[in-house]
Amino acid sequence: MSDLKGRNKKLKYFEFTRWATQPALIFTLIFFVTPLAIMVVISFWQRVYGKLVASWSGANYIKFFGTDYLLESLTNSIEVTLATTAISILLAYPLAYILAYRISPKWQKVILIFAVLPFWTAYVVRSYSWLLVISENGIINFVLTHLGIIDQPLQMAYTRGATILGFVHFFTMLLTLTIYANLVQIKPSYWKAAEDLGASKLQVFLRITLPLSIPGVAVGAFITFVIAIGDYITPQILGGSTEVLVPQAIMLQVSRAANFPMASVMSITLMLVIVVVYAITAKHLKMNRV
Amino acid sequence: MKNLTSKSGSGINRRTFLGYAAGVSAMSALPVRYSHAAGELNILVWCDHADALLLKPFEEAHGVKVNVKSYEGTGTALSIIEQSSPGDWDVLVVDAPDTRVFAEQGILEPLDDANFPIGDLFEPLTSAAFNSIGGVRYAVPEKFGYYGVAYNKDKVDAADMRTAEVMWNEQYKGRVAVYDYYFPAMQLIAISMGIAPDNISMDHLPAIREKLLAMKPNVKLVGDIVSVQNALVNGDVDIVLNGAEFTVSNLMPSMPALDWTIFDEGGLMWIQGISVFKDSNRKELASHFLNHILSPQGQGTLATSECYWAMPANSLAVLSDDQRKILRWDEQAAFFERSVPSTISQPDIDAAMLDIWTEFLQS
Amino acid sequence: MRLLRNLPSYVYLVLALSFIYLPVVVLVLFSFQDGVLPVFPFTGPSLQWYEKMLANERLVESLMNSVVVAILSSIVTTFLGFLAAYGMARRKPRFAGGIRFVLMAPLTVSYLIIAMGMLITLNLIGIPKSLFAVGLGHVVINLPLCFAIIYSQFGDHLRNIDWAARDLGASDAQTLLRVIAPIMKPSLLASFCLSATLSWDEFIIAFLLSRFDVTLPVIIFEMLRAGLTPEVNAAGTMVFAISMLTIGVSAIFVFIAFRGKK
Repeated sequence: MSDLKGRNKKLKYFEFTRWATQPALIFTLIFFVTPLAIMVVISFWQRVYGKLVASWSGANYIKFFGTDYLLESLTNSIEVTLATTAISILLAYPLAYILAYRISPKWQKVILIFAVLPFWTAYVVRSYSWLLVISENGIINFVLTHLGIIDQPLQMAYTRGATILGFVHFFTMLLTLTIYANLVQIKPSYWKAAEDLGASKLQVFLRITLPLSIPGVAVGAFITFVIAIGDYITPQILGGSTEVLVPQAIMLQVSRAANFPMASVMSITLMLVIVVVYAITAKHLKMNRV
Repeated sequence: MKNLTSKSGSGINRRTFLGYAAGVSAMSALPVRYSHAAGELNILVWCDHADALLLKPFEEAHGVKVNVKSYEGTGTALSIIEQSSPGDWDVLVVDAPDTRVFAEQGILEPLDDANFPIGDLFEPLTSAAFNSIGGVRYAVPEKFGYYGVAYNKDKVDAADMRTAEVMWNEQYKGRVAVYDYYFPAMQLIAISMGIAPDNISMDHLPAIREKLLAMKPNVKLVGDIVSVQNALVNGDVDIVLNGAEFTVSNLMPSMPALDWTIFDEGGLMWIQGISVFKDSNRKELASHFLNHILSPQGQGTLATSECYWAMPANSLAVLSDDQRKILRWDEQAAFFERSVPSTISQPDIDAAMLDIWTEFLQS
Repeated sequence: MRLLRNLPSYVYLVLALSFIYLPVVVLVLFSFQDGVLPVFPFTGPSLQWYEKMLANERLVESLMNSVVVAILSSIVTTFLGFLAAYGMARRKPRFAGGIRFVLMAPLTVSYLIIAMGMLITLNLIGIPKSLFAVGLGHVVINLPLCFAIIYSQFGDHLRNIDWAARDLGASDAQTLLRVIAPIMKPSLLASFCLSATLSWDEFIIAFLLSRFDVTLPVIIFEMLRAGLTPEVNAAGTMVFAISMLTIGVSAIFVFIAFRGKK
């Protein structure tokens, strides 16, 4: 008797756990997958004289990939994003390393939080603040001219460098977080073992710490890439529209011509780039518990 | 052993869960404001209509709440309207050249001249083409200004600024910002080539494109109003092409070095019009709102809004002497003489221009 | 001695932190600007922009909206993520890999694209643009993170605890709420806090999916487009201060939760 009851309980239990994932799944399907599918459909339509026409043609794709300056927006985006990711990693890794291994544990979390706080100044305003720093009347020029290091103010604003600067500022904080989280997970016994076997400090770093920290770098780099390549605000404010990146091209289509088909084409292209990058970095993303 | 299995029938099954979920969603959907209520007015406008100073008198006089949605590009407005249901919007502010697009799609309500102080408006405004589309009025001019050049007179030679050739003046390489609006920018280039903006045809575009691209090496930044203002104030640029009073007037009190002018070859006048939505359920209230904006008091406030300053359409607008000086009230007659209103765009030319502009930004 | 050996590290730390705080310092500094333009030279200090900002009804409203959207959407996100992680961890469903892929997919798509897609879809379903829609969007972007965080914390020992609870006669709801959830408190709290902070600062989805009632980042953006005044700096500084406060409070919560875990 009790055995039967027990089996019933187990069945009900399995029932629940079977569908427990479904609410989240259904939600994602409705509000994420469907919109994307619709965008794919719309990318094959066209906007003609203010009306959306279901023309089912690849005309927009041909136009995007066939027009020099439109395709350039894609190459510009990729270049800027790669540069941003690389520089951010270079700046963040030492910072994470120092936090994990050179600061006493008591202070680590505090300094980490402190280092990451500017993450949460309003994004748009922060970009404008950077303009104040790098403009001709800004702090940097002010200090440099007063120290006599330069005669003419440096023209730093409204360039690709300014955009990258704005990005790097944001993503260095992000990467510091992910790399730090990874570094503190590495067991010190590994180093001890390596040193016992005669490895120098440098070798310990290169052959143990670095490889084991790759997942943290990879996760941070991937998130950086995704966010940076889709960002509209930073290049718009700091880059001065001296060149066009894909998100700006998308917004041009949307806000001037309400040309959602063309905007969809560009969005899908962006997504495909991200998928390619994901495929490349996927195997590094798994953080195994070591 | 105590019998602990009494609750074994109360597993969470899918139905109960969905029931709870539906209930919670229904509750959280409630705070969505039912803005079809009688005591509200929904306006889709440019940023200069968002000032509390402008809206409060109207709200208090009529006991209603004005809901503001400000937009920038006409495409944005079109897509906002497309995604709305009939009756969602009551008042629209739109750039004169784009009035036709909205009118042709049946979005705007025909207006009767008798209801509005048309006679008090400056003459060149009411004779502009957009005032009558197919013999019907869809928009009343409410504010206007020019596209020319704004500049820092401490840093540049003011005489150079008076000619359109300044767009290609090597002396100012890297000191130029361009206000990001493709249509008037290209019309200004047409003017410099001696082509009347009304007459721009597809044949002219290649030549216009050449001159536009030739301008790029001088340009440091292409941006919206705030971006170019920022650049002027921070000293990164000294000239804003495609700019004029709307770019610098509100800054002039704190930075007297700023000034603006229109080209000797001819200026381009921009006009913004205010309209009523055809599907609005509150047309009478909307009409009152239009009259509030067009009243001398409303016009004075609108002209000096926080977002940007420009000339009011109503010649009886209430403005102080200082404000009139900044807006160059007394020189308007002279400006009228050599300016033409920015024209209504043809869809195919418009699309081609947008393409050229994208290429310009990229180069 | 330790100090000397670590000197280069400390120098780098100081330099890095200076870089990170440079725009923030400028931002806060000019929020106290006396003049109309938030540019050099600094004249002040003056509180006028804070006064102006607090008198701005729309801004204060949007602040409340931001808080409400952040909290409500995070509750939903944490709940859905918790259920999904639990389902995944207890018994591997068929297509476990596929389900995980779909749940994590939103992480790889830019917010702009998610916002655009939702814009079109919501119109089709008939859900009007509103704070509700913004909340939905925030759930979409935060769900993968919550799921990942909670799932990563589901250890094997939980299976035994689960069995034990049911053997003792607990129903599903009781097991979840009174046994599993308390054990998972740290990750639940962490997910909630993370979702809330990400939602609070999120711009593009809030911008595209709202109509009249907007969130704080959207208002700030509107203010920026309307004109160049230090009021924007005051608003930005306020956002920063509130975020600092929230993170501080969250850190304390998480700290307490973790301590209780032992």
